[in-house]
Formats: sequence, structure tokens, C-alpha cells
Amino acid sequence: MSAIVVKNISKRFKIPHSKRTTLFQNAIGLVKRQMTYEEFWALRDVNFELQRGETFGIIGRNGSGKSTLLGILARVLYPDGGLVTIDGKVASFLELGVGFQPELTAAENIYIYSSILGMNRRETGRIYDEILEFAELKRFEDMKLKSFSSGMYLRLAFSTAVHTDPDIMLVDEVLSVGDEAFKKKCMLKIRDFREQGKTIVFVSHALEVVKAICTRTMLLEGGKIISVGENERVINQYLSLMGQ
Amino acid sequence: MVEIWRYRELIRNLTVVELKNRYQNTGLGFLWSLLSPLLLALVLYFVFRYLYSQEPNFAAYLLVGLMSWRFFAISTTAAVYAVVGKGSLVTKVYIPRMILVLSNTLSNLISSLFELVIIIPILFSVSGSLPATILLFPLVFLIYFWFVYGASLFLAALYVYFRDVNQIWEVLVTILFFLSPIFYPMSTIKGAMPVYLLNPITEFIIINRNLMIYGQIPTLYSLSIVCIASIASFLIGSFIFNRLQRRFAEEM
Repeated sequence: MSAIVVKNISKRFKIPHSKRTTLFQNAIGLVKRQMTYEEFWALRDVNFELQRGETFGIIGRNGSGKSTLLGILARVLYPDGGLVTIDGKVASFLELGVGFQPELTAAENIYIYSSILGMNRRETGRIYDEILEFAELKRFEDMKLKSFSSGMYLRLAFSTAVHTDPDIMLVDEVLSVGDEAFKKKCMLKIRDFREQGKTIVFVSHALEVVKAICTRTMLLEGGKIISVGENERVINQYLSLMGQ
Repeated sequence: MVEIWRYRELIRNLTVVELKNRYQNTGLGFLWSLLSPLLLALVLYFVFRYLYSQEPNFAAYLLVGLMSWRFFAISTTAAVYAVVGKGSLVTKVYIPRMILVLSNTLSNLISSLFELVIIIPILFSVSGSLPATILLFPLVFLIYFWFVYGASLFLAALYVYFRDVNQIWEVLVTILFFLSPIFYPMSTIKGAMPVYLLNPITEFIIINRNLMIYGQIPTLYSLSIVCIASIASFLIGSFIFNRLQRRFAEEM
């Protein structure tokens, strides 16, 4: 059973020669006929298929299209061509703590953040204690978020996100923030997810981590797939590409 | 639509957060939000009282007009920022983005209902009695809601691409304020009547006054006008929003 099918995905960004952000400037540009822009294809005809339970690494240099691809999978970006089919509930970790309200308490924020991830009140109520326990923040549940340290903030966000029980997780560089202890905890949780048979898409520059947790790796360069397959081989290909 | 229902919890949360931010963070927040329309009404009352003395019960006339107007003006002015101001909710996670505007319109609707709590006793005291037709008022506001929501969707989407929409809209709102019968009687613009009635807000204000002051049920004609205006506003607004939202994340 495929969890994610990506067919001929392309994404084009338009970069105007002179940035016009107002109606007024656009009206002037129209009159002067200067509506020129540069086209930039961040992704071109990308195809791949993920089976349920895979942990899929995406590597590539900066600007190779990794984050654009993840954005499309997360339905934040809209592809200019192609089709994405996703089977299952998706949690995207492009950023942790999206929608956190500093003026509200940790408890209130747990409910808000999980509703952003598509949970209703009753479902959140069931996992509420687990979230606080995993984040080690039980004592602070009634504290306003603005008084949290950045470490506490991250722990709360990560803990809430992983407890919403997604089928598919899209993980960007987010896990590279936080201290070693927190990183370790995140990695353990990801391993847990793997064992439960969930699908994970993992974009990273941390090649060691990719090697350790992924079942397959894909190398992107200039918006195209260079290779997909066994970790070691793809990573070596990436290293030789960078060496050029 | 089905999808938006699935996210009803988020709609509720965002609306509550908006209301909390509006009222909680200033000690007198809630009081001020009730006082400011009253003060405006008071100023207009003393300025125009003699000029428009032919209008019976001018105070009530002003209050209902202002309250109806404020829902439209405040909602749409805030809606301009409803998408751009939400940052990572647009660029970092998937949610049906119409929710961002919906929670803005809903929270302003609730604010308007709070205003009613103070306006209704005043209406009672200046006119001596309240017509039974006032009970139909929520129904009209429900129709009005879709009109305001549609306009809000359009403005919020446009602002992502054109960052002077806020300034343009502020000017337009000011012009509309004078083009709507808020502080002057309808009788003063007799000559331009057909053109003047093209403004749907006028129709809403007239219906609200009829219900809340004069005890008259709206005619079928004016009801159909507001219904058509609301449906059109919502359909056009959501169509444009859905087309433009594809590139929201990259334009922010």
C-alpha cells in the first residue's frame, strides 16, 4: 500500500526583475509594459512512490528543491504541474509550535496547536496528560507561554505534535534545534514511529542521522532527482557531487 | 466546506484567541470597545441634532446605523491582515486558509453582539418601548455575516499580493461611510435615490432600523436584495480567495 505517490511534480517560482508589491506599482508597470520576471524551476518532473512504513531521507545542497518538495507534500505550496496522492493523516514539522500564542497558558496552547493539526477537543483531552509528561512540563501547565524558555517551548511543541498520532510525518531541519538531550528524545520518538509502521519523510543535512534512521534516501540537485535508493550509495554520490 | 467543518475546533480556538487578545490585554479593553461606539454616537448626535431635527428619535436612528456599519467597517479593515498577519499558519502548516478569515469575521460578529447588550437598553430608554420585530434581528445579521465574510475573503487574499490594499481600503471605507445613511436621514438624498440604493450596506441599515426601532418587517424586495448581495459577495470572495491562495506561501 503506497502512502505517498508523487507524479511529475513541477514547481516554478516567478522572480520579478523589480519587486512590485503594490497595486499602484503594478498599474504603472502595466502602462509601461515592464511586467518581466525571471522563471525559476525549483522542481522539474519529480516522481517517486513511498510504501507505508518507510523512512525516506531527502538530501541535496541548498537550493536543490528539498524544502519546496516538502512544502508541496505538506500542501503549503501548490505544484504547477503533476499530482500528489497522500493516503493517511499528515503531520508536517516544517516548523514547531506554529500558531503558539505567547499570551496564553501552556494548557491552552496544547489545545490550539493540536486543533491546527486537525484534532478536536475530545481527542486532545485524551492525550493531554501524555503530552505534558513527555515534555516534562506538568508543573508549568498554567504558566503563560511568554515566560517559557526556548527549550521548554520546543519540548511542548514537539510533544504536542508527535502525540496527535499522524500516519505520515514530514520532518524538515526542525530537529536540529534544541540541546543534545532533546535531540536524543526526538530521535527515540522517531524510531518509535518507525516501529509502529508509520511513514516518515525526513529532509536533512545531517548525513549521519539520515544514514542511521532512513530506509531509503533520495538525492535532489537542481530540482531533479539524481538518484534514489540505498542510503550509503546515495550519500556517497552526494558527497562526490559536493566535492566537485 | 466539509473540510472546514472538520476543523471546527480550530475555528473556535482562533476566534476565542482573537477575542481574548482584543479584550483581555487591556484592563479597560472590554469597556472601551463598548464606549467607543457610544462616544462616536454621542458626538454625531450633538453635531447633527439640529440639522436633522425632522428625523424622529434621532438618537436611536444613529445608534442602530452605527452598529450596523461598524460590523462591516471593522471586520473588513481587520480582515485585510487576516492572512498576512498569521505568518507561519500559512507558510508552515496546512489548514484550510479560509478559516483565518472566518475566525476574524466571527470574532467581530461576536463583538457586535456584545455592543447590542448596551444598545438595546439605550434604545428602550430613548423610545420608551421595543418593537417585537427586534427578535428577527439575528436572522438579518446572519445574512449580513456572509456579505461581510465574502468581502473579507477578497480583501485578505488581495493583500497578500498587493501591499497597498490596506490603504486603498481605508479610503474606500471612509467614502462608504458617507455614502451610507448612518448619520443623516434618507430623505436628504432624494434626488440620487436609484444610484444610492446600489450600496447593499444601505439596505442592511434600513432593515435593521425597521426591525429595531420602527417595528416593521422588511419587504420581500429588500430581503431579496440583501440575500442576493450576500450570496454574490460570498461566492465571488471565496472564488477569488481559492484561486489566489495557491501562491500565498511564496508571496508572504
